[in-house]
Amino acid sequence: MGFDLIGFAVSFLSVYALYAILAISLNLEYGFAGQPNFGQAMFYGLGAFVAGIATSYLLPAMTGAPAGSICSIPMLIERENLAVANPALSMGIWGISLAIATLSGATVGLLASYPALRVKEEWFLSMILLVAAQMFVIIVRNTPQFGCGFNGLPGITNPFTWLSVHVPAIFSADTAPALYSLVLVAFAYVTYKVAQRLVNSPYGRLLKSVRDDPTLAEALGKNVHETRKQIMVIGSALAGLAGALYVYYIGVASTEDYTSTLTFTIWVMMILGGYANNKGALVGAFLITLLDRGSLILGITLQYYLPSFNGSLVNYGRYMVESVILLLLIIYRPRGLRREEPVRTPAYGVFSQEKRGEAK
Amino acid sequence: MSSRSPILELKGIRKKFGGVNAVDGVSLDIRQGGVYGLIGPNGSGKSTLFNLVSGLLQPDAGEIRFEGRRIDGLPIRKIFELGISRSFQIPRLFFGMTVFDNLMCAPKGQTGESPISALRSEKWHVQEQVFARSMRALLDELEISGVYLNPASEISGGQMKLLQLAIALATEPKLLLLDEPTAGVAPRIAQDIFLAIEEQRRRTGTTFFIIEHRLDILLEKVDHVFVMHQGKLISEGRPEQVTQDKRVIEAYLGISG
Repeated sequence: MGFDLIGFAVSFLSVYALYAILAISLNLEYGFAGQPNFGQAMFYGLGAFVAGIATSYLLPAMTGAPAGSICSIPMLIERENLAVANPALSMGIWGISLAIATLSGATVGLLASYPALRVKEEWFLSMILLVAAQMFVIIVRNTPQFGCGFNGLPGITNPFTWLSVHVPAIFSADTAPALYSLVLVAFAYVTYKVAQRLVNSPYGRLLKSVRDDPTLAEALGKNVHETRKQIMVIGSALAGLAGALYVYYIGVASTEDYTSTLTFTIWVMMILGGYANNKGALVGAFLITLLDRGSLILGITLQYYLPSFNGSLVNYGRYMVESVILLLLIIYRPRGLRREEPVRTPAYGVFSQEKRGEAK
Repeated sequence: MSSRSPILELKGIRKKFGGVNAVDGVSLDIRQGGVYGLIGPNGSGKSTLFNLVSGLLQPDAGEIRFEGRRIDGLPIRKIFELGISRSFQIPRLFFGMTVFDNLMCAPKGQTGESPISALRSEKWHVQEQVFARSMRALLDELEISGVYLNPASEISGGQMKLLQLAIALATEPKLLLLDEPTAGVAPRIAQDIFLAIEEQRRRTGTTFFIIEHRLDILLEKVDHVFVMHQGKLISEGRPEQVTQDKRVIEAYLGISG
């Protein structure tokens, strides 16, 4: 069995980039602002379905092709053909779908913040969002009009698929996923940079003050409620964006991908990497991607050499390894691999001068 | 002092916890620019009174006016914005943050405190530097040094107390409520704390209202003292008058008669 190194790298990079965005999103909400969001999978899934549906309606509509049920096989083939035949339109609609998905993430985050932030104990908030996420999966599965129900919405074409058809001399069928994985990495990089700027500012201090002692923050004139609302909108928008990016990578929006298992995986990434540390989020996402892709390859390899082997066992093994890592970490490094850092603003320079002075 | 208008007026304030009258009909006036003391045995309702003024608690009855305006029932943040800051008896800090990040939360009107402006550093960089320098000067003045980059949870109890005072002073309020500022700090630092209070009053005209058990220090620093006992105001006046008051001696020493 030949090992497809490029294929592995493409899937690794893609999954890593998406996990990185999700881990940063959760870290902003919980690590920095102290809001336990257990509904991340819902915002991620929402972004995926909204982007999938948007692209499925927009493509035929903007090319004047006859519209039909977005779930039907002929229509999904039609969409792929349309996407390949109209490169600019296909990429444009991809961009529009991302924007719409990000906005819906933000909007639902805002709506969810109204009941969620009225509860007294922050852990009620996590329960509310966890339940909402479960309901989201159930509703989508049982509402075929929305996202094709249990089977999911197929035929969401990678925006670079046209390359290998229009310029076959240079590009192969592998080009589109490879290029797309780089786009995903670029999105993750920008997300990281923006998150770093956000938290290394007076706003980052505000988030931490709300997290550490909301009453004291209020007594220092901080608007705790508004801040919580804002960070929930930002986190949900990022999760929605990640979902939209994912659906073009995988090609189908299916509720299977947005169960609360994913939420817990994102939590593990954050706990692993470190609370209130964006670099930590990147580290956590990297380790979980390694586990995720590694177990996948191990399963396929074992099944190849031992046809009687049940490949899904490896998948279960992955969750066991994840749990063991989590337990070890909670015992030996409860704050994660990377510790929380001071807020880096010009003030840090003013206050760290003393240390340099003493060192002399 | 009587020529100046009252900055804080309490009228018939009551607060009940279960069956206990924690604050039982307290009325008092505080005039602008003074240093006022609030003393009384443990459990006499002093901290509850501060919680009522700063909005952490709502009174069951009575009126609280600040600069003539009703403030009872207003949210904590609004009361702060009107010009009332406070410190807590048990130091309350942002324990996950560093010492300097704690202090940098204090200055009002920070332009970088919204997500949009946070991303545009030209909006707040200069202001941040100005605030940082004055905050650092304040920390140096209070002799909290060598721990600026430590998490606030990893400094000594006395340093926590000082940091909390520094935060309260840095908000530059019109009225500052200090709940036992010298409890748990070394005698020399206790003197420094009152020097810092005096300095702030001279510089900004802040009015101080201070709960304190260290009567030796308090009574020589304040203009006027209120004495509480079992939720009631039992005496007030100049320090030398109050210490002669029989009811006060009774309440403190438990001598009846």
